[in-house]
Amino acid sequence: MNKWGYVGKRLLKTIPIIIGVTLVTFLILHLSPGDPVRIMLGPYATPETVAALRAQYGLDQPLPLQYFSWLGNIAQGDLGTSIRYNRPVTELVQARIGITLTLTLAGLVISVTLGSILGILAALKQNSWLDYLCTFQAMFWISIPGFWLAILLLYIFGLQLRWVPIAGLSGFASVILPALTIGLQEEAWFARPMRAEMLGVLNEGYIKAARAKGVRYYRVVGKHALRNVMVPMITMLALRLPWVIAGSVVVEVVFAWGGMGSLLVNSVLARDYPVVQGILLIIALSVVLANLLADLVYSLIDPRIRVEGGKK
Amino acid sequence: MNQELKQEIAELKQQKTSQMYLTWVRFKRNRLSVIGLSFVLVVIFIAIFAPVLTPYHPYETDPFNRLASPSRENPLGTDELGRDLLTRLLYGSRIALQVGILIVLFEGFIGISFGLLAGYFGGWVDEIIMRLVDILRSFPVIILAMAIAGIMGQGLFNVVLAIGLVGWTTYARMVRGKILSIKEADYVEAAYAAGESTVSVILRYILPNVLPTAIIMVCIMMPTALIASATLSFLGVGVQPPLPCWGSIAAAGRDYIIRAPWISTTAGFFIMFTVLGFNFIGDGLRDAFDPTSKRN
Repeated sequence: MNKWGYVGKRLLKTIPIIIGVTLVTFLILHLSPGDPVRIMLGPYATPETVAALRAQYGLDQPLPLQYFSWLGNIAQGDLGTSIRYNRPVTELVQARIGITLTLTLAGLVISVTLGSILGILAALKQNSWLDYLCTFQAMFWISIPGFWLAILLLYIFGLQLRWVPIAGLSGFASVILPALTIGLQEEAWFARPMRAEMLGVLNEGYIKAARAKGVRYYRVVGKHALRNVMVPMITMLALRLPWVIAGSVVVEVVFAWGGMGSLLVNSVLARDYPVVQGILLIIALSVVLANLLADLVYSLIDPRIRVEGGKK
Repeated sequence: MNQELKQEIAELKQQKTSQMYLTWVRFKRNRLSVIGLSFVLVVIFIAIFAPVLTPYHPYETDPFNRLASPSRENPLGTDELGRDLLTRLLYGSRIALQVGILIVLFEGFIGISFGLLAGYFGGWVDEIIMRLVDILRSFPVIILAMAIAGIMGQGLFNVVLAIGLVGWTTYARMVRGKILSIKEADYVEAAYAAGESTVSVILRYILPNVLPTAIIMVCIMMPTALIASATLSFLGVGVQPPLPCWGSIAAAGRDYIIRAPWISTTAGFFIMFTVLGFNFIGDGLRDAFDPTSKRN
């Protein structure tokens, strides 16, 4: 298959997923055991208020009709109106998404960098104490809940040592701990495949050939092996993105950052459903896009992927 | 002829049991997995004998002894309502194990069933199930589960439902892959040739062969289930007080982090201990079942 054929096919495959994502997001609201409007308004609302709000949100219409009008609004960039703030969801999100993006990106950078370094070291010194230490620390970080790591870091470096500000967003120093929380937790996911891939690549014929030719060891690693490792790392990046986003939501709560994550948690607790739906949709769509992008990049780097059944 | 085939099938089954034994031998050789097993056994022991291990009741408040430092009477101090922290943490193992097991059973049931259907029937059934998997995987598990739990209302079973409804996709993928390879195996064809029905082939030949994979999956997914449920409780949409849940204890302790740092820190430690145990076991099992994935 040629390059553009693959791209077209991959794009087509994304459409049903995007539709499915909107359906899941839409239907979640209807999971509530009672009437969502009643739950939103609380037990003391008068029937008139309930009816009025139901009409305002179009909840008195049949479900499929509700879905399509909701979809139509989204297509026009209208994610609805927050019940709690009485302001457009897009406006609320716009004001906060930057914080979440910063945190997610910083976390990813730390985790990929740290994971790659540790993975490469472990592979180069296979079965040494360093290798075992890398494996063990990876296991350790994935065994602790993100909120706890955040609390511990906050307590040790913020409260006891007072190296960094303990809460809120104020300059570069305040980003360190939150980003480190995500970075440490996610680093394990990059270190393990990096190590495995490096080991695999280092045993390949062409690496041995390069070594036999007299190319220096670290040059071999840097030039030949690393390039091959990039492909699985990009996949891992796309695969872990949802977890990084989830991690940043938790971290935002602990560090009292007013980002999209905190907004989501508060909206869930306050039953502000339009905001919950809007943020869920934004997160899921960015994950879908990231996966699409990863697959496309992947196919450009490695032509073998484009062959049917080459991946998955 | 029929008899011979049955004989052969029986022999192949025999091989399976000895493979289970081999797996156990390999598992025992892995030191970390034995440590993990002992961690988990400790937690199970605590869960069973919590009433014997502590003289207090987890709901017993003491307004005059709030946020007390660790002392002889309260080895880990008391929480914001004067309840003995160690008692609550010990009882918390019951909630954690209960929720964790219910989650893996629930998501395992959905995932294995869907994986079985997708892998066995293929075609449009496979297509629909796998697209559903793709769709759900576009949402971060914890975030979607949080939204679902928040909407369904707080409570232990809603946590299980919320995480289970989102978390089954990993099982489905794994089981589907396994089935695709088993479907082509000789003993399955032999069973068909011997005149067995589709249902009987699935239940008697395919499912037992998927089971080892499913068992590893359950062990591997347990940490995710534990952390996810603790996180939901931490965020306030999970198990509700006064039930002693490690996640909500850590959340409550966060407000008193300066005065009583031991509340959040010890609660998290209990989670880590349990999750680490399951992770070690899972790692050992993975290696034991699949020696080719071994590090050397």
